[in-house]
Amino acid sequence: MRLAELGTPVLVAAAAVGAGYALSVGLAGYFVYLGMSVVVAAIALLGLGVVTGTAGMISLCQLTFAAVGAFVVSACNAAGVPGGFVVWLLLGGLAAAAAGVLVGLPALRLRGITLAVVTLGLAAAVDLALVQIQFPGVTEGLHVERPEAFSDDRSYFLFAVLVLAGCGLVVHFLRRGRWGSSWHLVAFSERGTAAVGAGVRTSKLTAFAVAAALGGISGGLLTGQVGLAFPASFTAIQSLALYVLAIMSGAHLIDMAVFGALLWVAVPELLKRWGVPQDWGFVIFGVLGVQALAGRGNLGMAWRNLWYRRRSRDTAGVGRAADVAEVSPLPPGDPVLEVRGVSVAFGHVTALSEVDISVPAHGILGVIGPNGAGKSTLVDVISGFLPQATGSVLLDGRPLTGSPTRRARAGLRRTFQQDRVPPGLTVAAYVRFVARRRLTGAEIDEALAFFGCPAARTPLSRVDAGARRLVEVVGHLLARPRVLLLDEPAAGLPHEEHVAFGRRLRQVPARFGVSVLLIEHDLDLVRSVCDTLTVLDFGQVLASGPQADVLADPAVLKAYMGETEML
Amino acid sequence: MLQGALAGLAAGGLYAVLAVCLTLMSRLVRVINFAQSATGMFGCYVAVFLAVHWGLPEWLATVTGIVLGGVLSAVLGWIICTWLAEADTGTRSAVTVAVLLLLISLAFILFGNKPQPFHPLLAGPAFTLGGVVISQVTVVTVTLAVLVAVGCRTVLARSSLGVRLRALSERPTTAELLGIPARPLSVGVWTATGVIATLAVSIVAPSQSNDPTSLAMLVVPAAAAALLGGFQRLDLAVAGGLVLGMAQGAAAQSDHLSVLRHFLPFLVIVVVLVWTQRKEVWDAAR
Repeated sequence: MRLAELGTPVLVAAAAVGAGYALSVGLAGYFVYLGMSVVVAAIALLGLGVVTGTAGMISLCQLTFAAVGAFVVSACNAAGVPGGFVVWLLLGGLAAAAAGVLVGLPALRLRGITLAVVTLGLAAAVDLALVQIQFPGVTEGLHVERPEAFSDDRSYFLFAVLVLAGCGLVVHFLRRGRWGSSWHLVAFSERGTAAVGAGVRTSKLTAFAVAAALGGISGGLLTGQVGLAFPASFTAIQSLALYVLAIMSGAHLIDMAVFGALLWVAVPELLKRWGVPQDWGFVIFGVLGVQALAGRGNLGMAWRNLWYRRRSRDTAGVGRAADVAEVSPLPPGDPVLEVRGVSVAFGHVTALSEVDISVPAHGILGVIGPNGAGKSTLVDVISGFLPQATGSVLLDGRPLTGSPTRRARAGLRRTFQQDRVPPGLTVAAYVRFVARRRLTGAEIDEALAFFGCPAARTPLSRVDAGARRLVEVVGHLLARPRVLLLDEPAAGLPHEEHVAFGRRLRQVPARFGVSVLLIEHDLDLVRSVCDTLTVLDFGQVLASGPQADVLADPAVLKAYMGETEML
Repeated sequence: MLQGALAGLAAGGLYAVLAVCLTLMSRLVRVINFAQSATGMFGCYVAVFLAVHWGLPEWLATVTGIVLGGVLSAVLGWIICTWLAEADTGTRSAVTVAVLLLLISLAFILFGNKPQPFHPLLAGPAFTLGGVVISQVTVVTVTLAVLVAVGCRTVLARSSLGVRLRALSERPTTAELLGIPARPLSVGVWTATGVIATLAVSIVAPSQSNDPTSLAMLVVPAAAAALLGGFQRLDLAVAGGLVLGMAQGAAAQSDHLSVLRHFLPFLVIVVVLVWTQRKEVWDAAR
């Protein structure tokens, strides 16, 4: 990691603490108190930024986790747990994270909306239950003791800012790391996540747990601010409002989480001063939330777009590939991937029937066939996305079974015909995540340059569709799998790039030590790359063998010429 | 215990009606409508307001409220059909979360956060069963739930409207290419569920805890019931709603279980999810 990447966030955090100190000294007493509320809300919003903003899930119980944190801090205070407030706060965060994992576990295998149902259910239930059972120590009026060095309001505000800066740093570095990449990926595509060997459930669960932990810390901090925890601070309605606010402000950006928290406190405060009922605040959030959700964009993105547009407005595409010495192809060896008698049916439609293929070591097998021949279905079967398929798949002579994640880890990777590259990451972060092993910067740059991909630091959102798919290929190649299945990798490229791409692909086995199964429509590309071909038609193998023989086969010619496609 | 369970049946009927609405929405317009019961709540609050402050006759106020519930739902549906025609279920549903927040807050502003002086539409016992009095409200809501479910099923399975609706839900693009008017039909579904939900809430609200939050959060037990039917099957949704209502009623009888009662819908949701998720499912077809 470069020094700047490590240093800049720390400097920003230090500056934030400095600003916090200035505010704690300079503001009037009442505003210091409001400032604490802002910080508390900002930490909760940071959490929502992770779970909804980055990982793309709907979580409607952020303040329930805050209540868990508040409960733990109150209980520790009442029981006199040693270590003082800071330890209690951390315990609160941990307890909330544990609660998050417990709640998340049943909900995270199904997607998206079930989590919303579960979390709303939890928020509503805890809301009602809290009123009945109350927080520990509240009925006796037992005030929570703030940390000794930060006992008055001004210094407690500074303490809160310190906690916020710490949380911000943690979130920033988590997001830069493997967890963060998996959150981006899982929000964009679950299939894409599994195909790179990352667990879909683990990715979601870590996001949910981190969000819950931040919620817990914010709840604990609130308890220290007020002295007593009250159920009215953690109602389901407020959780809903916080979710909407997170969406509307774009809380996956740390500065926007703080800005959202400012709105959270300032809007009701201003309404109060103007003598308007404070509930209008939530109405405003609701309207802006509908607007943001309906795809009109949120405040954070609008702001960032302005910023980026000024800096650079062009998208990055496929450039000229680096000039590197040609490596002569290795002779094909024994089969590494063998598929025997694979059949799949969708209802009454037989998609594949008794298909056999084999990919030789250091070889490139082309699978061609008309539309609907079952080519992509074959890739789905081999990579484990169609568990109902019959037949066997052997990798290096060992049966390849289990989930797509497991197969990817065993050394079988695949790319997709559709875009599965999340726009939220940079090229390098994505490639590192997909490769699942330690890579040097030089290794990445070299591989990217080999295929003419955009530079490592480019955000993927600025990379065009064709180049994104090449970046996907590069990432999987750097993972050094035994076999890589490429599903029409050149589909997004302009036709003149196909041949150049083919020349690169031809060198892949020798250069990366990876055998390739290539599905492609462009016969020019197939001719220039593949030694052996398998032709599929209506789910059956029509012909298989060396390229020249297969392309001369009358049955193959008929299958192709019968279609309207070109040969 | 039995008394509690039967007392909970009225609430169960309401859950069942709302669950049927949720299931219909999920099947036909790809939305889990979190604002389903909030719409009903808003409609019948307006009805109470009209009756109390404007002196409108009870029936007229109620009808106005029900129409308003339908209109609110239609407007929301129109927004979603127009702006989020191509979006996935998650995004479409998230909009209804914002609307839920908006409706609750508006109700706080317009009507306060206390229960309303509802005038019951139906009062008194219908009959006694084994020494337990069954109220008219219970009979009517349970009947309504069953009628709505059976009615929807018949329309969907038998009528040409149903065929078009199913086509639209299963293959939206193909259906539109066939000339099925997508937006009017979708908005129609929204309107119908809005009307049904408001009607059900109007009947049950007078005998329930009827502050805005409680009424709006009825969507939670309703979603639990709908989840039992996988947001697909109307019969299971109705059964789930009724059973959940009875279980809550029974739990309310015991002091030990009174906190647990709040968690019942949540627990049902969790159990159903664990059960239905045994198999791995992927997000996109390919």
